[in-house]
Amino acid sequence: MQDLEMRHLNGPEVGWDGQKAMEKAKALLRRGTFFSNYIIAFVIILTLNFVLPRMMPGDPLQAIYGEEALLAMTPQLEAELVSRLALDQSIGQQFVAYILALLSGDLGHSYYYNQEVLSVILDFLPWTLLLTGTALVISTLAGLILGIESGYRRGRQLDKTLLAGLMFLSGFPDFFMGIVLLLVFGVVMGMVPLSGALTPYSGLEGLPLALDILHHLLAPLAALVLVRVTSAYLLTRNTMITTLKENFILTARAKGCTEGQIKYRHAGRNSLLPVVTATGLLIPHLITGALFVEIVFSYPGVGWLLYNALLTRDYPLIQGILLMVTVAVLLANLLVDLLYSKLDPRVSHAR
Amino acid sequence: MLEICDLKVSYDETEILAGVDLDLLRGDSLAIIGESGAGKTTLGLAVMGLLEERASGRILLDGKDILSLDEKEMRKMRGKDIAMVFQNVEDALDPLMTVSDQIQEAISAHLEKGDPREVDDRVRRLLKSVGLNEDKGGSFPHQLSGGEKQRALIAMALANDPQVLILDEPTASLDAVTKAEITCLLRERIREKIVLVITHDISTAAKLAEKMAVLYAGRIVELGDTKDLLENPRHPYTRGLIRSSPNMTTTKDLQGIPGRMVHGVPGCPFSDRCTQRIDRCRREVPLLKEAGDRMIACHRGGIVPLLELSDVKTSFGDFAAVDGVDLTLYEGETIALVGESGSGKTTLAKTVIGLFEMDDGEGEIRLEGEVLTRRGRDFYKKVQMIYQNPKESISHRMNVLEAIAEPLEVQKAGSPSERRAIVKRVLEEVELPTDDAFLKKYPHQISGGEAQRVAIARALVLNPKLLIADEPTSALDASVQAKILKLLLNLQEKRGLAILFITHDIALARKVSDRMAVMLKGKIVEEGPTSDVTTCPVHPYTMKLLEVVAPHLAPMRGARETRDGSGGLWEVSEVPPLRAREL
Repeated sequence: MQDLEMRHLNGPEVGWDGQKAMEKAKALLRRGTFFSNYIIAFVIILTLNFVLPRMMPGDPLQAIYGEEALLAMTPQLEAELVSRLALDQSIGQQFVAYILALLSGDLGHSYYYNQEVLSVILDFLPWTLLLTGTALVISTLAGLILGIESGYRRGRQLDKTLLAGLMFLSGFPDFFMGIVLLLVFGVVMGMVPLSGALTPYSGLEGLPLALDILHHLLAPLAALVLVRVTSAYLLTRNTMITTLKENFILTARAKGCTEGQIKYRHAGRNSLLPVVTATGLLIPHLITGALFVEIVFSYPGVGWLLYNALLTRDYPLIQGILLMVTVAVLLANLLVDLLYSKLDPRVSHAR
Repeated sequence: MLEICDLKVSYDETEILAGVDLDLLRGDSLAIIGESGAGKTTLGLAVMGLLEERASGRILLDGKDILSLDEKEMRKMRGKDIAMVFQNVEDALDPLMTVSDQIQEAISAHLEKGDPREVDDRVRRLLKSVGLNEDKGGSFPHQLSGGEKQRALIAMALANDPQVLILDEPTASLDAVTKAEITCLLRERIREKIVLVITHDISTAAKLAEKMAVLYAGRIVELGDTKDLLENPRHPYTRGLIRSSPNMTTTKDLQGIPGRMVHGVPGCPFSDRCTQRIDRCRREVPLLKEAGDRMIACHRGGIVPLLELSDVKTSFGDFAAVDGVDLTLYEGETIALVGESGSGKTTLAKTVIGLFEMDDGEGEIRLEGEVLTRRGRDFYKKVQMIYQNPKESISHRMNVLEAIAEPLEVQKAGSPSERRAIVKRVLEEVELPTDDAFLKKYPHQISGGEAQRVAIARALVLNPKLLIADEPTSALDASVQAKILKLLLNLQEKRGLAILFITHDIALARKVSDRMAVMLKGKIVEEGPTSDVTTCPVHPYTMKLLEVVAPHLAPMRGARETRDGSGGLWEVSEVPPLRAREL
């Protein structure tokens, strides 16, 4: 009946197929607006990265490269820089030049490393990705599982112990936890190496190399995970407690579902959504956390690089790293959004 | 066979179920009705083994005690032997799973190793059996309408063809049309099972269950066949529930039940709200006992007959003004006595109150079960009358205070100041001013409506159980009349006042009475529930009376005789499907 009315409204030439095509176009449009949000955010980040140094008082070159760097600069280099940054041109043309340079992968020149900023960052990035990636995955997974089990046993011994223990751990800052772990397991017990990401010049390959990397990773990873796990845990536990009161849990129990099915398939999956969102929001925190932990463990990642760049006032490098980090955060959010619509069918339909 | 013995469940200190006994055989369907908080859902969950709290007593399914099973054994029974259809509330279905997956889960939960194709096939058949299109199976709950979700919930409960099916408010959140469809579907699917329908919706209960149990504060207070119980409720609580639930034939204004439900009171749980309680009700818990065609838990054996007339005759010389009247008036009930002038209505009323002498012979008038021989002060404490013309019925020489306090003086009740306080309280009840100026007014100084209120106040000041109202509003404006009648109904709700309402106005009688008796030439020619008498009259005189006031309703008349007992006040018969559906 309804279909008939719809067809009638759409006129005779738009049949059922026409309607389907329209639906598709609408869906595509929704997709478009979804991605355009990210594109707009990206453009704003680029613009800020471009505008901010230029808004500083004095010579833009000085603002971008710092006073000391400028002192060491030869007139040829200055001329080259001026032309590369299009400083002798209008602001619009400068922006175009900046974007073009970015597109060709040119983030500027690090005078401390005397290398392209991009290549410097790329040298250090894998270690940070390894550290933050594993920390993110492990802390989220552990938080989820602990939260599900704890929420399911609300008020019982396991729940109380976990809650108290994790709350206690989350009170420490990352770097403090790092120092404690370094002292206890590295210095006193000698179980983990004190610095670095792998044993230099060891000539290891294959599995021994992987184990060596893992060995170096353990302590900084543990420091990050121990502090981060609590937020995922707490959120999962609390969501779990609310979800368990929902009616569909009763429906599932009435069907004769096993405890495991109720815990994970029904309650767990429904508790996952806020945790995924929160994980996305946690990524920036994790990156700043990694920065400190990398410094404590002298772990050769982007955090450690940023720290050194700050010490040496290597402005192009700092700027490059900040751009990288903001883009990384943006990408992480995009991933979370995509994942979210996969996890919750209601989201993709609402859009 | 499902046997529930002395089932008790407490949350914290409160006893939610205080000893429930039920026996149900295969093919039985029982509706559990009652207000929210009566323990209906707790009962359902207890049978499902889904209660968090420890329950005491026994729930035997084919001799196996559900309450003694451990969680693992119970899990195997849930959804397989005993299943529950939940109310389609916002989140009764998992929002993240398709409907098919959720139904499939109900099947696989009880399969050791299932052939996936066979399971899929069963899911498809189930969807079809509840009237859902196959492609709806792939939908998520948020893409379905309320009725479709309810169908999915039903499919899930039916997945393993359970012996016992519990329907918890199966249609509560649906619109009327969908409700009728779902009810129809359920009726088809629940045959040959033991069915418990948990609902506060009496009409749904009537359509789905053959038997009905009324639950109050964790106890069953009345249990009987659905039709009998609804047409002739015998526990005061059941009557209160029915009076507050309208259906399409309800004629009397809705009335509630005074007070609110409290769990764990000593004695009868309903005693605080009951208008016919005696001392014993506060002390002892009444047991559910067989009483005629049903079981009732009431120390007074259900709603008590207040006034019983049998073969009452009143003659003036040779003329029999009242010629053999049988009539029973129950506590808290209104009977409208209708008929034209001279039919003997007023004579009957005056005979009851003792203004006319009843003829000697077989005739008997009983008040609260005792035969009336002489009418003393005690009688007038219980029975009072109000008259057609209020100004004439109050002495011109008495002011408001004196007129209302006079019955108290006659009964020698209290000191003058106490009487004054009582008069003021009654005046408040009838919504009149209580200031000195008003108390000192004489009948000619107040309006007709006020005068009738004063007359009502005078009648009520002794707190009578029976009020005989002889055309109490015929001298009043329509709006004043409406207010006075509302007042009477409110007092009935609050105090359990029984009213013998005498009028020639059938339209009026229809709005205030539970039952209607039609009088002609000193005899009652027709008597029955007001909605029945006014919609399907049997006696030609009643038809004539109705035709005079509502000629356009004429074709409906006379239908009651041919009805086979289905229908009546509550639609208990098969519901025809409202839309063409494929099943």
